[in-house]
Amino acid sequence: MARAAIPLSVRVPLIVAGLMLIVGVVASQIVIAALAQSHERQARELARTEFATLAHALAPMAVRDDVWAMFDLLDRSIDRGAGLSAERVSLVGPDGAVAVSSDPQAAPIGSDGDAVLGAAQPLDGFGFDGSAERLTLQTPLSHRGQDLGALVIDFDARALAAERRAAWRWLVLGNALATLTLAGAGFVIVRRLLRPVAQIAAQMQPQDGPPRPIPPDDIPERDPELARLYRSYNRMLEVEQARVSAHLRSAERERLAGLGRLAGSLAHEINNPLGGLLNAVDTIRRYPDRAEVVRSSAELLDRGLRHLRDVVRATLDTHRTDRAGSPLSRADLDDLRLLIGPEIARQEQELDWTVSAGDGDLAPLPGAPVRQIALNLLLNASAVTGRGGAVGFEVSASDATLCLCVSDTGPGLPEALRPRLLSDAPVAGGEGVGLGLVRQLATELGGEIMLDRTAAGHNRVRIHLPLARKKENAA
Amino acid sequence: MRRPAANHACLPLTRRAFALGGAAACVAGRPATAAPAFRFGLTPVFVDDEWPLLQILKDYLEAAMERPVEFVQRRTYKEVAALLVAGELDAAWLCGYPLLQYQPMLAALALPLWRGASRYQSYVIVDAGRGASQLGALRGDIHAYSDPDSNSGYLVTVSELVARGEAPEAFFARSFFTFGHSDVVRAVARGLAQSGSVDGYVWEVLAEIEPELTARTRILWRSEWFGFPPIVAQRQRLESPEITRFATALREMRDDRDGRRALERLHLDGFDPASEAEFSGIAARMRRFAERE
Repeated sequence: MARAAIPLSVRVPLIVAGLMLIVGVVASQIVIAALAQSHERQARELARTEFATLAHALAPMAVRDDVWAMFDLLDRSIDRGAGLSAERVSLVGPDGAVAVSSDPQAAPIGSDGDAVLGAAQPLDGFGFDGSAERLTLQTPLSHRGQDLGALVIDFDARALAAERRAAWRWLVLGNALATLTLAGAGFVIVRRLLRPVAQIAAQMQPQDGPPRPIPPDDIPERDPELARLYRSYNRMLEVEQARVSAHLRSAERERLAGLGRLAGSLAHEINNPLGGLLNAVDTIRRYPDRAEVVRSSAELLDRGLRHLRDVVRATLDTHRTDRAGSPLSRADLDDLRLLIGPEIARQEQELDWTVSAGDGDLAPLPGAPVRQIALNLLLNASAVTGRGGAVGFEVSASDATLCLCVSDTGPGLPEALRPRLLSDAPVAGGEGVGLGLVRQLATELGGEIMLDRTAAGHNRVRIHLPLARKKENAA
Repeated sequence: MRRPAANHACLPLTRRAFALGGAAACVAGRPATAAPAFRFGLTPVFVDDEWPLLQILKDYLEAAMERPVEFVQRRTYKEVAALLVAGELDAAWLCGYPLLQYQPMLAALALPLWRGASRYQSYVIVDAGRGASQLGALRGDIHAYSDPDSNSGYLVTVSELVARGEAPEAFFARSFFTFGHSDVVRAVARGLAQSGSVDGYVWEVLAEIEPELTARTRILWRSEWFGFPPIVAQRQRLESPEITRFATALREMRDDRDGRRALERLHLDGFDPASEAEFSGIAARMRRFAERE
């Protein structure tokens, strides 16, 4: 849900910026690793150079046991290196005693060489992680095959470590700065590139009202590609608006056609008893003195007029605009039965009417659209079934849905009419009065429409209308 | 600890000896006249900046002798003495000890005057913080000598130990030669050696020009006075004109402006004619040492 809250025009630049940051971090890691290797290599080279220089000069002096010359040499080697400088240089003789040291106070001549050798690493293959401030190395010293002991150098690696830290710091700082700059630039650039998408999205889903076209002034003529995109969007919008208008007109036509048919049936329903009622009036006129006849005719008039009153009331209830928002009730369904009755009777059809849902089940749904759906389906069913057929109407409710089923013994809904009921695709006009309206109303109610057959093999239209959502909305 | 720059004021280092030899050859490469150069051997007793001193000394000697002068520096007394005996040098600044060792062939031309006299002492020095007060307390030390042919830097100490009934090689646990008096001071100051034998003249001059170095040492024992290290020539050439002229130039150095500048840098007062009697003390030490051997 949270991800959906971030628009695409922000999400994509953020992703680009994030990827740049990741690339920057990875690149920094690689460079830092290479830097560490470089520093270790540099430390090795510096150490080897120092050892080689000293060993070359020291060996002949060691052969001569020239203590002062050795000391002078070692003493001059102290603190002369850049980065990795010798802090103390000692020669431990083959007998294990210190032969000479640049720090005679700490390592006197003849003292135990182990104190000097200590934890000295061999020069070949020593490890240096770059953060150590001291590095003690040793290597054997010999001259023309004569073993002269071990040359031990305590290096002060602080300068090298500081250099490494400084390089690391500047590298990380530089990379971070460059990465953040690039990420920021990437964000801005991509966001700018995606601005048309954001604009189209804003026009498609404005906070108020339907999708709006992009104003002509906002179409960038300097960018032909973008201008084409905007114009295409505007054209699509025009087409869609035209389609919706046509659909609405079609629905209105369908509604009027249904009304016409219903009006015909009602006229017939009214006309039929009119003959009997007029006869009763005529009888009363003819035999005003015969109380029995007058009473019988009056009762006949009463029943006929009451029937007419019910028919008129049902028609009015169905089409009264002030009841458009009233909840669905069993009375609505009873009205439907009354309205469809004449048409069923005219067609000499059998009507199987089963309403198992109570008012409590029906109430979450609005009355007007459901009545319209049911009436249209019943009229169509009656029309396609033909004289002497059977039409079924069943309303049942579960926890979540209200099932509205209309079945008939007719040949079934022709293939050409099915799209009216089952899809939103535009269709040509013709028969199947009100099917498009049924689909529109059912869709607005969040319902599903299915075609199948009953156990008896009758064609059936099932419409499932969700109750839960309506309840929630109502709540 | 790094050596102070003032340390370069002293010559007696082996390393410097080579450097000085090169410098001397360089100086000799520009002869003042067509006459052959007068070859003068130097020993590790100078106390001053090498190049300025050499240049001043050379300028003076060449002017006084009216011929080019070439300085020849070697690491040890033995090398310089050998060159002189072999006739490779016309004169050399040696110690009284090698002079007496080669007495039949060599003779003293002149004696430097230091603090008004042509004599000096040998010092045995120890670390300034050491509590020892007698030579006997140095038993088992690592000891620094200057040169095996140096009177003050070797002969005096070993002969003194012999006189005290000690065997020098057994008295000290270990000894080594620095081949430079100032380096004996440095060896003791740095702790490389626990004691050292040094020329008193060198120690005193160092105390003036590099007091922080000598302050780290202490004079434990002073010897009797000996004849100052002399300027030496082949005995058979003592009366030759070039040697006579050279001896005169040395004696007249204190009267010349360039000569005085050189003497100031050497912390000397001048040169006097030599007397064999000045070295009787060294001869006595030699005898004492020989008796032991």
